[in-house]
Amino acid sequence: MNDSGGYKRDAIRVGLLWLALVVVLEVVWFSVEILPRQYAEEARIIDDAFNLLTILGIPVFSFVVAMLIYAALRFRSGGDASQDGPPIKTSTPVVVTWLVVTTALAVFILINPGLVGLAELRANPDADLVIEVEGQRWQWVATYPNGAEVRDELVLPVDTRIKFEVTSVDILHSFWVPGFRTKIDAVPGLTTSVYATPTELGSFAEDSALRLQCAELCGIGHARMVMPVRVVEKAEFQAWMADQLTAEAPAAEGRG
Amino acid sequence: MRPLIRAVVLGLVGYVAGAWLTVAVRGGSPSDDVAVTFGFILGLIGWLMGIGVWNAWAREWFGLPAKPDQATGWQRYLTFNTDHKVIGVQYLVTFITVLLLGGFMALIMRWELANPGQDFLDPDTYNKLMSMHGILMIATAVAGILGAFGNYLVPLMIGARDMAFPRVNAMSFWLIPPVAIGLLSAPLLGSFDSGWTAYPPLSVVNEGGQVLFILAVITFGLSSILGGLNIVTTVATMRAPGMSWGRLPIFVWAAFAASVLSLLITQFFAASLILILLDRAAGTTFFLAEGGGDALLYQHLFWFYSHPAVYIMVLPAFGVMLEIITHLARKPLFAYKVVVAGFWGIVGLSVAVWAHHMFTSGMAESLHAPFMALTEAISIPTGLVFLGALGTLWQGRLQSKTPLWLAFGWLFNFTIGGITGIYLADVATDIHLQDTYFVVAHFHYTIVGGTIFALIAGSYFWFPKITGRMYHERLGKIFAVWLTVGFNLVFIPLFWVGINGMNRRIADYPEFFAGPNAFASVAAYILGAGFLLYAGNLLWSARRGPAADPNPWGARTLEWQLPSPPPEHNFPLLPEVVGHPYDYGIPGSVHVAPMTPEGGEEA
Amino acid sequence: MALSAGAAHERAEALSRPRANRLGLWLFFASETFLFAAFISARFVSSGTYKPEELNQPLALFLTVVLLGSSISAYLAETSIAHGNRQGLIRYLSITILLGLAFLVGVGFEFKEAIEYFPPETIYGSNFLALIGLHGFHVFTGVVALAVVLRLGTKGHFEPDDYWGVEGVVKYWHFVDLAWVVIFPTLYLF
Repeated sequence: MNDSGGYKRDAIRVGLLWLALVVVLEVVWFSVEILPRQYAEEARIIDDAFNLLTILGIPVFSFVVAMLIYAALRFRSGGDASQDGPPIKTSTPVVVTWLVVTTALAVFILINPGLVGLAELRANPDADLVIEVEGQRWQWVATYPNGAEVRDELVLPVDTRIKFEVTSVDILHSFWVPGFRTKIDAVPGLTTSVYATPTELGSFAEDSALRLQCAELCGIGHARMVMPVRVVEKAEFQAWMADQLTAEAPAAEGRG
Repeated sequence: MRPLIRAVVLGLVGYVAGAWLTVAVRGGSPSDDVAVTFGFILGLIGWLMGIGVWNAWAREWFGLPAKPDQATGWQRYLTFNTDHKVIGVQYLVTFITVLLLGGFMALIMRWELANPGQDFLDPDTYNKLMSMHGILMIATAVAGILGAFGNYLVPLMIGARDMAFPRVNAMSFWLIPPVAIGLLSAPLLGSFDSGWTAYPPLSVVNEGGQVLFILAVITFGLSSILGGLNIVTTVATMRAPGMSWGRLPIFVWAAFAASVLSLLITQFFAASLILILLDRAAGTTFFLAEGGGDALLYQHLFWFYSHPAVYIMVLPAFGVMLEIITHLARKPLFAYKVVVAGFWGIVGLSVAVWAHHMFTSGMAESLHAPFMALTEAISIPTGLVFLGALGTLWQGRLQSKTPLWLAFGWLFNFTIGGITGIYLADVATDIHLQDTYFVVAHFHYTIVGGTIFALIAGSYFWFPKITGRMYHERLGKIFAVWLTVGFNLVFIPLFWVGINGMNRRIADYPEFFAGPNAFASVAAYILGAGFLLYAGNLLWSARRGPAADPNPWGARTLEWQLPSPPPEHNFPLLPEVVGHPYDYGIPGSVHVAPMTPEGGEEA
Repeated sequence: MALSAGAAHERAEALSRPRANRLGLWLFFASETFLFAAFISARFVSSGTYKPEELNQPLALFLTVVLLGSSISAYLAETSIAHGNRQGLIRYLSITILLGLAFLVGVGFEFKEAIEYFPPETIYGSNFLALIGLHGFHVFTGVVALAVVLRLGTKGHFEPDDYWGVEGVVKYWHFVDLAWVVIFPTLYLF
């Protein structure tokens, strides 16, 4: 029963099991939607990377699971501790194949989605709109190009490449809008930046993915350091921004 | 008991004296950072001297003969005992206790997180509880396997009578209780709310409990460094005749590799915390922007330790699991040399991947691509460990025992942990996933699914060796399934909430995430209840279990050739190693020459 | 012929003990090197190669010479006991301790002076404090260890074939000197 014919039969069976698992899991992956809705161009790039990694990860996962299932079913001994398995100490072809495959996989994901995704995210350093965002315990303050300071809602125009220049006045915070998939830490004494190009209209009231959430532990108010995000048409945005200037004076008094 | 009482008294006296002297010299309050620091340092010295460093060691520095405390039976475990097996058991019991304590804290957190809104923990308490859970569990993962099995097994497996520096070894362990006391008494000074990562500036400006965190963790680091130094020296100089490097049991290789890492890089954690302490207590400005400091400096120093630290945690786990798989599959460890090369590949690469924790930190963008490449490269040596494990299972004669069941769970978990790690190494996906529950789920898959599973599996596998009794096999298997299933039920939903926008370290979350969180909380309680089965089985079996055969698994490594538990100084005669430890199925192969007087080493 | 258990172990212990001690000490130095490396890298990361004009260069140079001189006397102490010269051991250990104390006093003086120009509230001052403090602490522990060995030496401990205590402490002293040889340019020359 330890003949090479037996090995071959085991190998074919575990291969079939692997294949079946891969097919099932890939079908499941393509038919369910687990990523949140994409509200920005950057979200598409990042989700593409996520999808590709999952598509490649499923065969790896399935291989281990197939081996485990098969081993548990087929290689169980009757419990006689004196009976040894075949003395296979190593196998150069198996080791070489394993190394070649894992190295190839690592190089592949480094190139795509790794470097490709990085290049796509950094392709365009220009921005149509620059908004300064300042984190403080425990709220966000957005300053628009016309000088309006906003704290209660981050309103953004659709189809516009926006650069957020982020900093902090006290300790670390992190600027994160799950719907845009963009994140950058707010570091005291440093201005960091991140881009987002909203592609869909929407608001926090409809989807919690549209919120500017602090993602870096900052103390008591960390969980609730949230600023609702609303993506609107460009014209509506211009009108809204102008309104903020007139509304600002009383708001500033209220802060004192 | 006397040494312990002496240690507690001297520790307290030291603390009070340090704090009081500080106040006397520079004024201020006895609870401010400087007073606490000097109190802790003197308290630590008092504790160590009281427990036995003075009697067993320091007397020699003053030309007096050492007179170590003598104790027998269970009281040995409460003294400064230099027997590596006693120390191993001390570590095992201590860290299983800490594991259960940290797990209990997780259950309290899951209660709060079961539904959105604030239930019974205010956000401040939640953050502090989360930070305490974090550091206790990190300590368990770092020192659990290496401290317990590293100490207990390495000298046995290489045929040595003890560790190279038995007194240093005892001191490594006795540094641990002050760490626990320091951390657990932090709430007296307002506790610490900056997570186990202690990022400044938060950790510079928060309450005084942070100082106790810093001092305790530096002390813990000292313990790790001394422990690592001991294991490296022991393996390098104390192997039995014939125990060449090519014949080392795989666990010894794993402990050795992890110890090399621990010995060197732990200093970076100590350094980064010392700088925070200076910022708090000496008015420096390393991490404060106002004085020209740089918060990112801390992250670089910290992750230079803390990323390799995950390999300090998981390399010994690899060793434990490969031992179990080999012995219980009754086959040679597949591609032994390749697996060892994989370990060293991990060690080498692990110090060059730290900045993947910082893709969204605002560090220079030119660093992103190189750190992504290096991080993804580390999957190649890690893959070799899987090759060894799966290759050994293939065609094996699997003995259906609890440790092997746990090894299957471990392989499943660690595969998920490894694959999800790729998403965090990739810059694009990490930008979204960093600081979310995806990260929480990922590192629980590697640290719990990887390391803690191995700690538990090892505690079953070597249970008969340590106690001389057998655990209850059926209850063990029930627990193995319970643990694996329960663990996956808790953490699979957390991947989903992370991907969908739930960030980590929060006491409250949007309504949208209510369902999976409720599910994870229920599952967490089921998982937690399972540990009663674990503790109950082992505690009961240690006292009442049936006497175990010295070698119940029919295993070939040296520790199994001795009575259970092994006698003091282990070997009646120096063993002579004549073959590979894992040559199962090779007719006539022998690992150790028979340990009769004739087999003893020639003069 | 087989040895009895106790005899075999004692022989193995006697053979492996010096190797283990030396390796352990070198591993400790390797570990300490990482600690110094962390502090030194912090200095260059946070304040680049900036260095204030007010640093007392002549004093620092003088202290460097003092510390290097103490390494020579430490070496002479070790060779003395290796040749059974107890008087030499005591004399040179005493000189080493005095030079070490002189170094500490000098560094303390320099520190007191320097802190006026670049207090810890500035980033260079922070690094200066941390590095000088870290190294000063090591010198201090070295002096204490030398004093312990000196006292044991005067009481008749150590023999030409058994002077690990002296060897270990002297090696540690060399290591601390070497650390200063790196820290001195880090703070004063770059």
